[in-house]
Amino acid sequence: MSAVLQNLVNQPYKHGFVTEIESDVAPKGLSENTIRMISAKKNEPEWLLEFRLKAYQQWLTMEEPQWPNVKYPKIDFQAISYYSAPKPRKKLGSMDEVDPELLRTFEKLGVPMHERAALAGVAVDVIFDSVSVATTYKQKLAEVGIIFGSISEAVHTHPDLVKQYLGTVVPVGDNFYATLNSAVFTDGSFCFIPKGVKCPMDLSTYFRINTEASGQFERTLIIAEEGASVSYLEGCTAPRFDTNQLHAAVVELVALDNADIKYSTVQNWYAGDENGVGGIFNFVTKRGLAKGVNSRISWTQVETGSAITWKYPSCVLQGDNSVGEFYSVAVTNHHQQADTGTKMIHIGKNTRSTIVSKGISAGHSNNSYRGLVRIAPTAAGARNYSQCDSMLVGDQCSASTFPYIQVRNNSAIVEHEASTSKIGEDQLFYFAQRGIGGEEAVSMIINGFCKDVFQQLPMEFAVEATKLLGLKLEGSVG
Amino acid sequence: MSVATASGYLESLLQGRAQLPISPLAWLNRLRAEAVERVGALRVPTTHDEDWRFTDISSLTKLPFQPVHAASPLQTAEAERFYLEPATIRLVFVDGMYAPQLSTQVPGAAGDSGIVVTHLSAAVSAHATTLESHLGRHAEFCNNAFTALNTAFLHDGALIIVPRDVAVDMPVHLLFIATQKEAASYPRCLLIAESGSAVTVIEDYVALQQGVYVTNAVTEIALADNAHVNHIRVQRDSGQAFHIADCAVSLARASRYQSTSIALGARISRYNLNVQLAGEGAECAVDGLALITERQLADTHTCIDHIKPHGSSRQLHKCIVDGAAHAVFNGKIMVRPGAQLTDSVQSSRNLLLSGRAHVDTKPQLEIFADDVKCAHGATVGQLDSEEVFYLKSRGLSEMTARNLLTYAFGAEIIERIPVSSLRHRLKQTVLEHTQRN
Repeated sequence: MSAVLQNLVNQPYKHGFVTEIESDVAPKGLSENTIRMISAKKNEPEWLLEFRLKAYQQWLTMEEPQWPNVKYPKIDFQAISYYSAPKPRKKLGSMDEVDPELLRTFEKLGVPMHERAALAGVAVDVIFDSVSVATTYKQKLAEVGIIFGSISEAVHTHPDLVKQYLGTVVPVGDNFYATLNSAVFTDGSFCFIPKGVKCPMDLSTYFRINTEASGQFERTLIIAEEGASVSYLEGCTAPRFDTNQLHAAVVELVALDNADIKYSTVQNWYAGDENGVGGIFNFVTKRGLAKGVNSRISWTQVETGSAITWKYPSCVLQGDNSVGEFYSVAVTNHHQQADTGTKMIHIGKNTRSTIVSKGISAGHSNNSYRGLVRIAPTAAGARNYSQCDSMLVGDQCSASTFPYIQVRNNSAIVEHEASTSKIGEDQLFYFAQRGIGGEEAVSMIINGFCKDVFQQLPMEFAVEATKLLGLKLEGSVG
Repeated sequence: MSVATASGYLESLLQGRAQLPISPLAWLNRLRAEAVERVGALRVPTTHDEDWRFTDISSLTKLPFQPVHAASPLQTAEAERFYLEPATIRLVFVDGMYAPQLSTQVPGAAGDSGIVVTHLSAAVSAHATTLESHLGRHAEFCNNAFTALNTAFLHDGALIIVPRDVAVDMPVHLLFIATQKEAASYPRCLLIAESGSAVTVIEDYVALQQGVYVTNAVTEIALADNAHVNHIRVQRDSGQAFHIADCAVSLARASRYQSTSIALGARISRYNLNVQLAGEGAECAVDGLALITERQLADTHTCIDHIKPHGSSRQLHKCIVDGAAHAVFNGKIMVRPGAQLTDSVQSSRNLLLSGRAHVDTKPQLEIFADDVKCAHGATVGQLDSEEVFYLKSRGLSEMTARNLLTYAFGAEIIERIPVSSLRHRLKQTVLEHTQRN
């Protein structure tokens, strides 16, 4: 295992997060026993253990993918600890104890006061009664029949639902990291919207206090029954520091007839320092199954963090007339690497998909869009429109586009376009002429460039994401 | 298909090499030996290789192709129908072997300018140094089993040298005729355009009759400063044949390369085109048309590599796919660090005419410089119903309207060919193709 990884794993908690769980961490390494131990600790039913073991057996036969356009030292999977009990943070007494660097970031992002406290790990009830806020939300959701909680909880409370859907969208042997996740996942979110229910509010992990630290192998499952609709927010704009270098999450979405799922992500994991030392490896498998007729799955992501992002939120458009959408902004700076995009698999008739991807690379970073649009022979009248634009800031970075278009039906129409541009001297001059300084001008240009995607974000997220981008690219121009 | 049998297959192909004459040039023998070694180390690509993901050539390895050693005594009457009017400077190769009885000499006016149009073995002594610096230097065979094979069999081929500041009006027609079944031919072309020169070259692959054979062609083109080359490539092989070709082009400062490649024949065809813009301000325009039907597969892989600043490239690739045919396009545009002010546009347009036709297209950009303009686009679809309606409202029948639009789709590429007789002939082919339905 690389020294880098060692350092990161052994690094003490920064920024006032204190851990006292050393005693409840599984020994490093992965074997059948580790999996049995995880399952036993979580008191899981037999079928879930079988699910995990099956995944583990498959994983042993698989090889790490080599095709992504990213470079990193080889990961030693036996040097990772696959289980640690939820980490109770030491609650801080007041905002004064919080790392000033973190506060500066909050200030720049414009995170509301009460949220800052929660994010920084200050005992929330000291500052603001956010626990009760969360409880109120939970009650409201329960009234309409929505199940929203951690997946390990759902395994016990709603085993039939979990058993019915788990692994149906991302099968056990899907890919190297998804299979690893299936074997060792520790926790994540579970959300079930019953027939005909429109979720009364945006669901967010943010208010799900119980699974705050869900660990490196997160598993999310969202099911929208006939006619249901939900908007789900993941992550937050504030930087998150984590001691785990490898993150391999799996997200599965299932939309039945006329259902609508909107999944928004803002990812700002620790990206490593200016020299590319440290940072999270984010290898995520996200996939939505638009199973029913007229169903709709929409992914929106703002990816700014992680040393390496490897992520392709996909839509399998199985139901007739189903719709898939993908809106993405990926920003890389310093030595970050991102290989991200989407897959739109058209199976049903008259299925439609839209892809809008904006990549910004600065510093020495490497930003790739990789996408697949596949029209199956059954997908008569399918329609796809893809647009992926890249912007380069500085001459040391790179941007690549790898769109795969596979069409097996002649009544389908597929369009793809991509362009690359830079922030021109003339554009900056125009701003300067109007009395707007360099940094601000760049921020405005970039926000204009990303507008199509930000419009898809829930309002609060959009405001913060705009500022986040400015912060991310601070000092990279001029 | 296991790797073991596949590599055995490549070695079986090499067997015919024993009969090759040893070249008087030591470096050429060395080059061949290197290539033989590479063939031994490489294996036949399978669909597990990213570059061959959509093109399954396992059927090729089931057939025992042997190289041709004796040129067939083809008579003018049989070859005549492939000649182009008005007159061209013509070199004819039958199954990869030079056929002097069918080729023409460089006519007086052009001959005085010093242009060399000959076959390689005739040029060995006169142009030894030029050959050494170009032959096998542009087409990499390190990772390409087929190019390695061709290089292993390298002993003859077409050679064109256009001297400094000479513009040749008369096009050069390189005609490759396949006559034998179950034969493997290894055509080779080398074109050297010295600084300030201009030339039009037509590389034309035809078959005398239907039959299974394999053509494994390699073309190398070197453009010196300010040179201008117009390269037209027509592949009209037999409908059962395999056609695998590799073309490497190197552009020096302010040179201009225009290429139009038309793929009509072959059961499975694969064309690799690598264009290196290795000098400042180099320009290239790379166009292609694949018109395929039944169970044909046409695969085009291009790579336009911008190495130096101020380069520009334009690419338009079109596929008309009918029957159960399969078109593959992979177009890579690379902008290397430092290749600032590059201007590149690439477009892949595909027309699917039948329910069983399919297309895999992958336009690809890899950019390592910031001050560039790069764009690419791809579309796949059928004829626009509004356009069909418009023509119907003008009194055309549905069928005529569709044929006309399909013809127009293909004609956009053919129009770019500067040789009128060839242009006319190809348009006729597209017209026949569209009317067959």
